[in-house]
Amino acid sequence: MLSVSTLDSEHLQLRPTNRPPRPVNKKMRLKESGSVAAGLMLAPSLIFLCVCSIYPFIWIFRYIGYDYNGFVARPVGFRNFTRMFSDVTFWNSVLTTFEYAFWKLIIIIPLALLMAVLLNQKIRGSSFFRGAFFMPTVIATSISGMIFTFIFATQNGILNNLLQAVGLMGSPINWLMDQNFAMEAVIILSVWAGFGNYMLYFVTGMTSISEDVYESSRIDGANAAQTFFRITLPMLAPVLKVVLMLAITGAFKDYEAIMVLTDGGPGSRTNVMFLYIFKLIFGTSTNARMQIGYGALLSLMAAVIVGAVTIIYNLVARRLDDVV
Amino acid sequence: MAKNRAQIVYSPRQKAYRFLLWLLLLFSTVVVIFPVAYVILGSFKGNQELLLGGANIFPAQWITQNYVDAWEQASFAAYTRNSLILSVGVMVLSLFVSTMAGYVFSRKTFWGKEIIYGVFTAFMFINVGSVSLRPLYELAVGMQIHTSMWPVILFSAGGGQATYIFLCRGYVNSVPRELDEAARIDGCSFFQTYYRIILPMLKPVLATIAILSFRQGWNEYIMPRVFTMTNDALRPLTVGVNMLKNAGDGAAAWNIMFAGATIAIIPILIVFICFSRYFMGGLTAGAVKG
Repeated sequence: MLSVSTLDSEHLQLRPTNRPPRPVNKKMRLKESGSVAAGLMLAPSLIFLCVCSIYPFIWIFRYIGYDYNGFVARPVGFRNFTRMFSDVTFWNSVLTTFEYAFWKLIIIIPLALLMAVLLNQKIRGSSFFRGAFFMPTVIATSISGMIFTFIFATQNGILNNLLQAVGLMGSPINWLMDQNFAMEAVIILSVWAGFGNYMLYFVTGMTSISEDVYESSRIDGANAAQTFFRITLPMLAPVLKVVLMLAITGAFKDYEAIMVLTDGGPGSRTNVMFLYIFKLIFGTSTNARMQIGYGALLSLMAAVIVGAVTIIYNLVARRLDDVV
Repeated sequence: MAKNRAQIVYSPRQKAYRFLLWLLLLFSTVVVIFPVAYVILGSFKGNQELLLGGANIFPAQWITQNYVDAWEQASFAAYTRNSLILSVGVMVLSLFVSTMAGYVFSRKTFWGKEIIYGVFTAFMFINVGSVSLRPLYELAVGMQIHTSMWPVILFSAGGGQATYIFLCRGYVNSVPRELDEAARIDGCSFFQTYYRIILPMLKPVLATIAILSFRQGWNEYIMPRVFTMTNDALRPLTVGVNMLKNAGDGAAAWNIMFAGATIAIIPILIVFICFSRYFMGGLTAGAVKG
């Protein structure tokens, strides 16, 4: 503010009273005042960036060498590191994360692609179908998790009752408490909640493929499968690459719905790494002891793992580009 | 126009194929909508009927007592109010912060612009999970604002701003610069140009940001859960409903949980049905272009 006012007074002194200001000066003055305004307008977002993103990130580094329970921080040197490398629960949770991400992706991407292709056929009511498939993505993940807790309930859950009613199943399955079914339940929920998102990316990508290409392939007598594999898929490749990356990083970060649906159980069957870390940092209902320093270190490790997966995916995607 | 667009004539075999396709889509729709319909319809069932289960999703007897109980006994009135404050707060803040920043990023060149932009992008990809909530919580306690809704509103808006800034900058880029210059010549200051000339032109992107940030606030779960660990009166719906589930007497309160989940779903569904094109448009604009 100060610089603006001094500049103004300078102008007043330099300028002969009854002559219009020279355009150069005027432009300069406008630019100067604009800078201050621009700085003020940018300030809120910069403050947010510092407080909500940069500060927590630096904070993590401060505590990775400490045993911190929320009240007292005790330096432990490298003990957190050695603990991490021998922490079987953590590395199991990493494996669980990979397992979850693998199954989620291998179902959700082809499903989203299939639905996008079907909706691209100019079928009656396709915008209604599109809206319906997208609908689960607008509902809070925590509420979806809760809805599926009801659906998967053993005795009075609607899924068991429906399956029994149509005779597909003899005795009820304990979806959420059975080692063999908990992961399936979690994946069903995440596919339901997320596939509309990816479908929409694909639909948007397909609208940019020219109708003429399909026209000429029809004239050449291509069938549906040929059209898909020879035309739609190659022309969709750039979109597919971006969507796959979003889907991969997204799948590795999921834990909110799992927290609500199974809370990592039974045992550690669905305990993905970010859920394990959450429990370390904020405690659980059974174990309120917080291990924030150790959790901070694991968070960094988890971020590195997700980063490595992203980089590997990008390398593979580029390699595929060269081949095709 | 209608004549230009060649009418495709389908053979009987193609017609049958398309009908089958349509049936498949209809079936998928039923499967997708089913969980939501089940909860909404179930919220009108009595607790007895819910606990008995069965394969019928329609209530044998329609009752609304669940809503009365949820509203009066289970403090859902407060949860709903908190959810509204949270989502409207996040929405208003996001609109202010992101349009101003997006405008500056689009129009100004200044030292360090690329660096700041890079930091914004980097933090969209760096994800350390829930650990970042710990310093933010301690910060809120230190500033003595942890007994209000403010920290959740501020930190939620701050955490989500990058996407909205990118959306906004992209849109301002498509507005011709000549407009700014004309406004400047007419005597508008930098801020006035933004406020009087550019902001009114941003309506489509404002609508997108408003809706996406409203949903973000309405659906926020882990942060308010952590921040209201000891303060039931500040919980939004997402946390309140799930706390009932963890409360131990789970089975006894199924009807209230169904009603609570429905209260949490219905507003966002109505917003979605009314403004679905902004939801869908914003998603693709933010991800593919940004």
